Amino acid sequence: MAEPSGASLHITARPEARVRVRRFAASLARWAVLLAVAAIVVIPVVYAALGGFRDAPQLAADPVGLPNPWVWTNYLDTLTDPAFWLQLWNSTLVAALSTIIVVLFSALAAFVLARREFPGREAAYTLFTLGLLFPVTVAILPLLILVRDLGLQDNPLGLALPEAAFGLSLTIIILRPFFSRIPKELEDAAAIDGCGPLGFFFRILLPLSRPALVTVAVLAIVFSWNQFLLPLVLLSSESNWTLPLGVTNFSTQYTTDTARILAYTTLALVPALVFYVIAERQIVGGLTTGGVKG
Amino acid sequence: MRSLSRLGVLVAVAAIVAGACSGATSSPTSAPTTAPTQAPPSGSASTAAQVEIDWYHIQNNDPGKSLWQKLADEYMAAHPNVKIKLTVLENEAFKTKLTALLQQGDVPDLFQSWGGGGLRQQVDAGLVKDITADVASWKDTINPGALGMYQVDGKQYGIPFDLGLVGFWYNTKTFTDAGITQLPTTWDEFLTDVQTLKGKGITPIALAGKDTWTGAFYWAYLAVRNCGKDGMEKAVTTGDWSNPCFVKAGEQFKQLIDLKPFQKGFLAAPWDGAGSSAAAMATYNGAIQLMGQWLPGTVNANSGGSRGMGEGLGWFPFPAVAGSPGDPFDGLGGGNGFAVGKDAPPETIDFLHYLVSLDAANRWGALNSGILPTTVGSEPSTTDPMLSLVLDGRAKAKFVQLYLDQATTPELGGAINEAVATLYGGKGTPQSVVDAISKAAAGQ
Amino acid sequence: MLVTHVATALGSRSRTGRNLRLMGVAGLFMLPALALYALFVLLPIVQAAHYSLYDWNGLEPLNQFIGLANFERALSDPVFLGAVSHNAVIVVLSLAVQIPFALGLALMLNRRFRGRSIMRLVFFAPYVIAEVITAIVWSLLLQPDGLAEHFLTAIGLGDLYSPWLADPDTVLVALFFIISWKYFGFHMILLLAGLQGIPRELEEAATIDGATRGQAIRYVTLPLLGPTIRVSVFLSIIGALQLFDLVWVTTRGGPVNASNTMAVYMFDRGIVRFQFGYGSAVAVILFLLCFTLALAYQRWVLRRDTDGATTYG
Repeated sequence: MAEPSGASLHITARPEARVRVRRFAASLARWAVLLAVAAIVVIPVVYAALGGFRDAPQLAADPVGLPNPWVWTNYLDTLTDPAFWLQLWNSTLVAALSTIIVVLFSALAAFVLARREFPGREAAYTLFTLGLLFPVTVAILPLLILVRDLGLQDNPLGLALPEAAFGLSLTIIILRPFFSRIPKELEDAAAIDGCGPLGFFFRILLPLSRPALVTVAVLAIVFSWNQFLLPLVLLSSESNWTLPLGVTNFSTQYTTDTARILAYTTLALVPALVFYVIAERQIVGGLTTGGVKG
Repeated sequence: MRSLSRLGVLVAVAAIVAGACSGATSSPTSAPTTAPTQAPPSGSASTAAQVEIDWYHIQNNDPGKSLWQKLADEYMAAHPNVKIKLTVLENEAFKTKLTALLQQGDVPDLFQSWGGGGLRQQVDAGLVKDITADVASWKDTINPGALGMYQVDGKQYGIPFDLGLVGFWYNTKTFTDAGITQLPTTWDEFLTDVQTLKGKGITPIALAGKDTWTGAFYWAYLAVRNCGKDGMEKAVTTGDWSNPCFVKAGEQFKQLIDLKPFQKGFLAAPWDGAGSSAAAMATYNGAIQLMGQWLPGTVNANSGGSRGMGEGLGWFPFPAVAGSPGDPFDGLGGGNGFAVGKDAPPETIDFLHYLVSLDAANRWGALNSGILPTTVGSEPSTTDPMLSLVLDGRAKAKFVQLYLDQATTPELGGAINEAVATLYGGKGTPQSVVDAISKAAAGQ
Repeated sequence: MLVTHVATALGSRSRTGRNLRLMGVAGLFMLPALALYALFVLLPIVQAAHYSLYDWNGLEPLNQFIGLANFERALSDPVFLGAVSHNAVIVVLSLAVQIPFALGLALMLNRRFRGRSIMRLVFFAPYVIAEVITAIVWSLLLQPDGLAEHFLTAIGLGDLYSPWLADPDTVLVALFFIISWKYFGFHMILLLAGLQGIPRELEEAATIDGATRGQAIRYVTLPLLGPTIRVSVFLSIIGALQLFDLVWVTTRGGPVNASNTMAVYMFDRGIVRFQFGYGSAVAVILFLLCFTLALAYQRWVLRRDTDGATTYG
């Protein structure tokens, strides 16, 4: 192992120009790759947004072209339709409910799964992971009967609860390593101050884990936002419909208005994306401290 | 668009309420009709108890949606004790929703039905009402062929309001340009025409490979020709598909497939929407399409501008197969109707009668929306020339086979569509198709 | 007597007392999650397992018990077996292509440079988008005369184009591409987070000692990233096995069942074709497959890392 000074002497002895060119080339290559990937990611989204400004004949005649003429009715009709805003509200309500429930319940469970050793802990953890392994679609009929028996049919809560339940698995899996990294000293200090586990949980652990919590919240919101089958089966009145159900209005037994669908789904996308943008800062910062360790 | 239709309904209701006591129904938007033969009896229900009717239908777009709403409003105005609760869902969403409802025993009072095997399943589970006696007095006002699709073991469980026929739609200009002056009347002539089109560099046929029920039409029609009415009924009711006529149907279909007549990428094309077979036809990328009566509407929706299709479509019935027992005018088709739930109040059937009354049927026909009413005498109300072509074909058909994936159970229907898809997907043989169907039928 | 024993134990400092107290606290904390989970997840799973033993179309009463016949049927159906093989292909492709790709991007995005946040945003965006739009848009892009064909023709590679989604031989790969588009961002973010937990100094120390950047990554970063990679791999495998939404909306498992997956098969047979007993059996098979893999994975792979849990009083 060379001594540091010897090593640095060795490095500075190389021609600086060559190093700089190599670094520049690497940087350029990196940018090329990133831009190419970004393009592939972005173009379909832009295509969808632009597609909303065309109509069916345009899409049929020239799948690739730019809107010509620009059709405003698809977006305008959607934005001026009270049903759209009602569905937006319903989606928000259900997403908020299911996210709060799943994050809170998961945090409580992950807390003890991470920081307390008790007999049966690993078994409990494994039990919770089972939820990841089972497709929701099969559970749909037993779920419907259950929700009806609880008197929660056609009720946003009746939709939020199953969504939260199915989100528990992923949320607990992600939260557990984060919670385990909070230093024991903090807990001891809290105990000395007379704070029981619950107090520690709410006053110290949660605030410190905010980035992780935002992460799982985003995942839960995205999951709920895009659900179609659950709301279709568990809701009945049109006044309770969520956004994905609203899309079905643009198809009938015999027709499908693709352009209108594109406009509608682009608009339905916006709230979710906006929320993600706001939360993004918190996420990566937060995923950091939890890591899944080294 | 939505607010306009709601306004229209409001206006209509206002007009109706204003003229309620006259006994005649008139609305500002209907075509001129003859005096209605069925007027909602008014004033007869003032002392009857409150009744609620739960109604599910799938005409979720206008003009149909408004018409159903109007009819419901008219009935409610004439029967103050009856409240009709409408739920309107898109086709696929409705199927899922109905499954969920039926599974927990929540049968709607009146709901969309396609008849055939699906209805039979519901009958076997005791979920629908036997209305044979209730409709005996007026069932003769309905087209008998259509009526039969809603019968199970001779008993009536639903009433149709629409029956269409599948036939060949073609682009008249393209045919003229290709020099085809006479429409094909036999299968061999049809194959020749396809080759002619191909020779001129025109894509002969638009097919929706992704929606496998469209390709199944070809096989089903050839089966209808080769097996005749008796052969079809035997297979559908007994589950015995061993009749060699079915293999023959596959062989004839294969003759067509081997000509490679379909548009590029057809295996992934849906029936409608962007990239669909309807869009293909609308942009001259497929001169012929075997489809139901709703095709012109969809093609029109997908066309426009200088490259569009407009009204340039024609229709000819499925050609005859030389030397086959099937009547050359036998048809393949299906439609829509309503079934009555097991717990439905008796007023439901009276309401149903109103919905398929001649007046209502005429108003449906006048919409020219692709719904071809089945009430006897309502045919003239359809003025669209293309839909009239289909109606003619329907009138000539002594036997109409319900789409196979509806005549049989959903399970067997799915298997049939899938089996036939292997033929035009290049992975099956006429025999393997029948084998697959027989296997699925045996599992029933 | 028992009560006094328990009470004494709880109050004492003995091992039993502590265990009981722990279990008490643990139980209380886990109760809400457990209740919700048992009710809405476990119960339906058990019921589905129950249904799988019957011949049931969802409408009639549940009374045609047929034992394991549904399972035999599934395991001898070439379409189902084909679906299983398709899932396997997707798993392999995901591990061979998606994860390394996401890893590469994460490594690139780990260095500080202008525009990094925007890139992170952009790459995660597809994950937020609903499956329906993804399916519609990509179908449009890949269809004849679509953007893909135009683009390839424009750069002179027009001959390379073919309607991939319409060809049974290429549809699975085309679907994989679309799936990757949607999910690579998720894995990238996960790996990026793991990377940011590795102190910079370690890598720098390696380069100072004469290692190239590549060597530093290979011998320092990647091993430390191990646990994150293993979690990412796990989620990827499970996701590949459960693949449903995108496939259903884009191809419905076609053409000619060439892109069928187990979950698509289950939905088609079980719900669309009204064979709930059979569909439940397929779901149980899928579940057992995932479960076995998950157990095996946990035992052999994840064991190496501490489970991410610690032992505090």
